[in-house]
Amino acid sequence: MFMIDSDNFLSYLTDNGFTLSTGVPCSYFKDLLLALEKDNRFTYIPATREDEAIGLASGYFLGGGRAFLIIQNSGLANIGDALTSLAQLYQIPLLVFVSYRGLESDKDSPEHVVMGDVTKPVLDAYQIPYWTIQEHNWKDVLDNALEVMEEIKKPICILVKKGVLGE
Amino acid sequence: MKGAEVISKLSTILDGEELVVSSNGNVSRQAYHLLQGDQFYIRGSMGLPVPIGLGLALAQPRRTVLVITGDGNFLMGLSAMTTVAYIKPDNLKIIILDNELYSTTGGQETVSSAIDFSIMIIGMGIDSVKSFDMRDDENLITEMLKDTIHKPGLKILHLKVEDDTIKVDDIPQHPTVIKDNFVKRL
Ligand SMILES: Cc1ncc(C[n+]2csc(CCOP(=O)(O)OP(=O)(O)O)c2C)c(N)n1
Repeated sequence: MFMIDSDNFLSYLTDNGFTLSTGVPCSYFKDLLLALEKDNRFTYIPATREDEAIGLASGYFLGGGRAFLIIQNSGLANIGDALTSLAQLYQIPLLVFVSYRGLESDKDSPEHVVMGDVTKPVLDAYQIPYWTIQEHNWKDVLDNALEVMEEIKKPICILVKKGVLGE
Repeated sequence: MKGAEVISKLSTILDGEELVVSSNGNVSRQAYHLLQGDQFYIRGSMGLPVPIGLGLALAQPRRTVLVITGDGNFLMGLSAMTTVAYIKPDNLKIIILDNELYSTTGGQETVSSAIDFSIMIIGMGIDSVKSFDMRDDENLITEMLKDTIHKPGLKILHLKVEDDTIKVDDIPQHPTVIKDNFVKRL
């Protein structure tokens, strides 16, 4: 599998009007986060929790800005109320990149196994549209995902497997 | 002095340009009924008024952003204060209405009586924090609110207030209407 070039990826997000990013790191995003911290087109805010990051990105949207989030799928379990009673309720569009841990390649990390199993059912239950990106299709998938986000004015998730945006 | 009375007093001090974010439950209901202008009233997402205010302050650096929060909300999202301490946005003001209770859900105790808010927040590296007990001395309130809102820089004002038994009506607007009205002011 090939990795997406971080600079291309960030340029795409700039072209789509994103100026701020926040979240809690996952090693799956190591390369992207390194590039992001150096990139002066974005402000990156290291949040202490994923629900805080949803609040911050929502406030940024209310102020007329556009933010994307970078979180681990374990963090999905921290954002239920922030999604349902803030972002979904007030119709705040947010682009959320979520690492898809706990799959076959993660056998050595038992802490991710249950969340890996339930990641898609959890997103379905929360009625959050989601897509998976890979090196060969990421632009087309994101074009489509952002269109849906604009239309529904609600958060959407992009699942990112190992090796796509970091180690 | 009760939290609602502090909010009433605030309405005489705000110039109408400030962007106000209020925490869920009684506080946002009181803000809706007592403050002028279309402000951002949080219905749910308990614990998130501070990060919402921080995001707003970053997106609108020329506007003053005021967060009014109950102690229960503030403590639930306490770690967000450390992010505020890290960013130190000049245009963010936070007023904590500390009744030591989850008043909205029937007046159960929070843990706030054990905390020295000033020392805690100074420990985060924010020295522009002030803490006052409004339960027996209301004299300074106007001056303190003016300082918090009108003097430049990040300001945190922690006020011990009496329990609010004043019943306030719900916010009649749908959250999407709250948002649309608020966004129109930018
Ligand atoms: C996640 C979550 N847990 C519990 C509640 C129920 N709840 C609504 S308001 C509130 C109390 C908030 O306390 P505080 O911020 O101190 O404000 P006060 O009610 O004292 O004005 C609680 C517990 C909720 N809305 N969300």
